[in-house]
Amino acid sequence: MSAEHSAPIIEPGQTFATVTDRISAIVLTQKTGRGWWLGFGIAFSLLMLFNLAITWLFAWGVGIWGINVPVGWGFAIINFVWWVGIGHAGTLISAILLLLRQKWRTSINRFAEAMTIFAVACAGTFPLLHMGRPWLFYWLTPYPNTMFTWPQFRSPLVWDVFAVSTYATVSLLFWFVGMIPDLATLRDRARNLIGQKFYGFLAMGWRGSAVHWHRYETASLLLAGLATPLVLSVHTVVSFDFAIGIIPGWHTTIFPPYFVAGAIYSGFAMVMTLSIPLRKYYKLEDFVTMRHLDNMAKVMLATGLIVAYGYMMETFSAFYSGDLYERFMVLNRWTGPYWPFYWSLIACNIVIPQVLWSRKARSNVSLLFVISLVVNTGMWLERFIIVVTSLHRDFLPSAWGMYWPTRWDIFTYVGTLGLFFTLFFLFIRFLPVIAISEMRGLVKEEAGGSK
Amino acid sequence: MSVSDLPDVQLEQAQKPALIVGVGAAVLLVAMAFVGADRDQFFRSYLFGYVFWLAFPLGSLALLMLHHLTGGGWGFVIRRLCEAGARTFALMAVLFLPLAVGISRLYPWTRAGWAAEAAKHAPFKATYLSQPFFFTRAVIYFVVWIGLGYLLSKWSMEEDQTGDPGMHNRMEALSAPGLILYGLTATFAVIDWVMSVDPDWMSTMYGLIFVVVHVFTAMAFLIFMASRFADHEPLAKVATPSRFHDLGTLLFAFTMLWAYLAFSQFLIIWAGNLKAEITWYVHRGLGEWSWVAGLLLLFHFFVPFFILLNRPIKRRKQLMAKVALVLIVVSALDVFWIVTPSFFPAPTIHLTDVLAVAAIGGLWLWAFAKQAQGRPLVPLHDPRMEEAVEHGA
Repeated sequence: MSAEHSAPIIEPGQTFATVTDRISAIVLTQKTGRGWWLGFGIAFSLLMLFNLAITWLFAWGVGIWGINVPVGWGFAIINFVWWVGIGHAGTLISAILLLLRQKWRTSINRFAEAMTIFAVACAGTFPLLHMGRPWLFYWLTPYPNTMFTWPQFRSPLVWDVFAVSTYATVSLLFWFVGMIPDLATLRDRARNLIGQKFYGFLAMGWRGSAVHWHRYETASLLLAGLATPLVLSVHTVVSFDFAIGIIPGWHTTIFPPYFVAGAIYSGFAMVMTLSIPLRKYYKLEDFVTMRHLDNMAKVMLATGLIVAYGYMMETFSAFYSGDLYERFMVLNRWTGPYWPFYWSLIACNIVIPQVLWSRKARSNVSLLFVISLVVNTGMWLERFIIVVTSLHRDFLPSAWGMYWPTRWDIFTYVGTLGLFFTLFFLFIRFLPVIAISEMRGLVKEEAGGSK
Repeated sequence: MSVSDLPDVQLEQAQKPALIVGVGAAVLLVAMAFVGADRDQFFRSYLFGYVFWLAFPLGSLALLMLHHLTGGGWGFVIRRLCEAGARTFALMAVLFLPLAVGISRLYPWTRAGWAAEAAKHAPFKATYLSQPFFFTRAVIYFVVWIGLGYLLSKWSMEEDQTGDPGMHNRMEALSAPGLILYGLTATFAVIDWVMSVDPDWMSTMYGLIFVVVHVFTAMAFLIFMASRFADHEPLAKVATPSRFHDLGTLLFAFTMLWAYLAFSQFLIIWAGNLKAEITWYVHRGLGEWSWVAGLLLLFHFFVPFFILLNRPIKRRKQLMAKVALVLIVVSALDVFWIVTPSFFPAPTIHLTDVLAVAAIGGLWLWAFAKQAQGRPLVPLHDPRMEEAVEHGA
C-alpha cells in the first residue's frame, strides 16, 4: 500500500476533548495574534479600496473601466467567472464528497464552504456593477410591472440570475445548518456574556438531543442533494453565457463540462491556498493532514487534465472544421497581441501542475502552496483569454480593437480580494474553522478502526 | 445450488449459443450483402453494430482503470468481469476489418476529389481524413486498448497467484496514464469512425458523449452479469445489496451525465443555429427521427432517473438486472440515433441492422464468456479487498 493511503485523516492521539479544545480555542480563548491583525488589516484596507472604486464607478459610470467596443466584457466578467469557479470547490467538498461518503472531507469542509459563500459574494458584485445602473438590478427578475416587460428568458444572462442566487442561498443554508451544533458548543464554552448571547442566538436553541441530531442529519443530506446539481448548473449556465453566442472561441459544445472542471480545478487550488497557511498558523496539522493535501493535489491534477482536454478539443476543432474565423481565433491566441497571456495560461494550467504526478511533490507543502497560486493565476488568465481574445478581433478587421484594464478595473478586482479576505479573517476569528462535531465522529471511527 | 449453477459452468454453456447466433447472423448478413444489391447498407448496419458493441469492452476497460485509481467496494463486484471485457480487444480488431473494407462506401471523404476540394479551405482536415492516416490511427487505438487490457489482466492474475502487493501498485500506476490514453483514443476513434461520416460537421462534445455511452452501456451489462453470479462464493462476499446500491448509483450518475452532455450539446447548437452545425439536429430532431429522439428523452433519462432514484430497487439485484437489460437496449437505440440518420433522413430500420447487432454481439459475448471463465470472480489478494468485504456487510 502506498504511503499516502496509510496517512491518517486525523493524527493519532486526538480525543473528543482535545478536538473540541483545539478548535474552539481559536475562537474563544486564544489571544488574537499579531499575524491575524496584520492579515486582517491588509484585507480591510483593500476592502476600503473596493469602496472607493465602486463609489467612483457609481459617480462616473462604467466609462471609467477599460471596456469599449468591441470588448464590452472586460474585467467584470473575467472576475465574475473566476470567483464563481473558486466557490465550487467548497460545495464539491461539502456536498458531493458527503454523498460519496469520503470521510477525509470532514476537516476541510467548513472553511471550504465559507470560501464558497465569500467567493460567490465577490462574484455577485461584478454583474451588478457591470450593469451601469445597478440600482435597477431588479429588472433582471421577472415581476409583474406596469410596463408589461419581462426579462429575455432565452438569454443565459437571465438564467445566471436564477442559478447564482439559488446557489448562494443553498450554500449559505448548508453552511449555517452544518454549523449549528458547533455554535452550540461555543455557546456552552463562551466565558463572557456577549459570547454566550452571540453564539446562543446563532445556535437556535440547539440542545443536542437525539431528535435534534436526527433532523440535523436529514437536513444535511437533503441540502447536499440539492447543492450537488447546483454546482453543475451554475458553472454550466456560466459557460452558456459564452457558448450560446456565436463568437469564435465561445461557441463550442465542450464548454459546459470543461467550465465545470475548470471551476473545480481553481476551487481546489484556492482551498489549498487558504488551508496551507491556516493549518500552519493555527497548528491544525493534526486535522488537516498530509492526506488532505495529497488528495486535493490529485483532484487538481485530474480536473486540470480535463481542462487540458477542453483546450485540445477547441484547437482540434478550429483546424478540423476549416472555419476561417475559428482558425484565426486560435492562431491569434498563439501569436496575436495577447500571446504572452495565452502561453502563461498554458504554463500555469497545464505544464507546471504536471509536477503533481510525483508523490514527492505532493508531500512538499511549500511546493503545493506555490502550485496552488500558479493554478489560481492560470485560471484567471484562462477567463481573460476567453473573454478578451474572442472579442477584440471582430469578424471584420475594421471593428478590431484592444482591451487593457484601467486602474479602476484593477482597484475593483483587488478590492474584491479585500472583501474576500476580510470576510475570511472574520470567519477564522469568530466561527469554528473546522467542524467540531464531525471531527468528534471521526475520532470515534478512527478509534474503532484501529482496534 | 447445483453444479450447473456455477459461474464457470453457466459461462461455458452460454458460449455455444452465443457463437451460433453470432456466426449464423454473420453468415446471413454477408449473404444479404452479396446476394442483395445493397452493399452500402451492409456497411451502414455494420458500422452501427460495431460502434454499439465496442462500448462494452471500452467501457469495461475505463471502469476497471477508474476502480484501480479510486478504490471503492463497488469495483470488486465487477472487476473480474471488466478484465474479461478488456481482454476482447483482439476480437474487436478483427471485427474492425469489414469497416476497413467498406471505408469508401461509408465515408464521403474517401471520394475522388474530396481531398483536393477540402484542402482549399481546411487543409488540416484534408490531411487528417486521409486513408493512410486513418488506418495508422486505427492501429494505434487497438494497440493501446489491447496493451492496456493485456497488462491489467496479467498483473491481476499474477496478484492472485503470488499475492505480491506490488502488483496492485503497478495496476494503479498504469491506470492514471491509462485513463488519459483511453480518453484520447476513445475520442479520436469516434471522431474517425462515426463523426467523419458527416465530414462537414463537428462538435467538441462528441468524444465525451461517447465516453459516457461506453461507461453507461458497460455498467448496465456488468450489473446484469454480476447479478447472475452474485450468490456464488467468493463473489457473494462482496456482492451485497449495498454494493448493488453503489453500482446502481453509478449507473444513475452516468444516466444524468448522459442527459447533461446530450442536452448541453443540443442547446448550444440550437441556440447558435449555424448552418454548419444545425443540420445534424435537423436530421435527428425534426421529422420522423424526432420520435426516436423523444423515446431517448423518455427512456434514456426520465424513466431511469425515477427508477434509479429508488433505494429499494437499487438494492435488489434481480430487479436491477432487468433495469440494466432495458438500458442496454436503450443505449443501442441511442447509438442508432447518432449513427443512422447520417445516411437516412427518415427513420428506417433494416433487417441488416438487427443482423449486425446479433452477429457482432454473438461473437463478442462468446469471447467474453470464454475470457470470464477459469479465474476467481474476485481478486484474491487485493490489499483493499478486506476493507471492502467489511464495509459490504
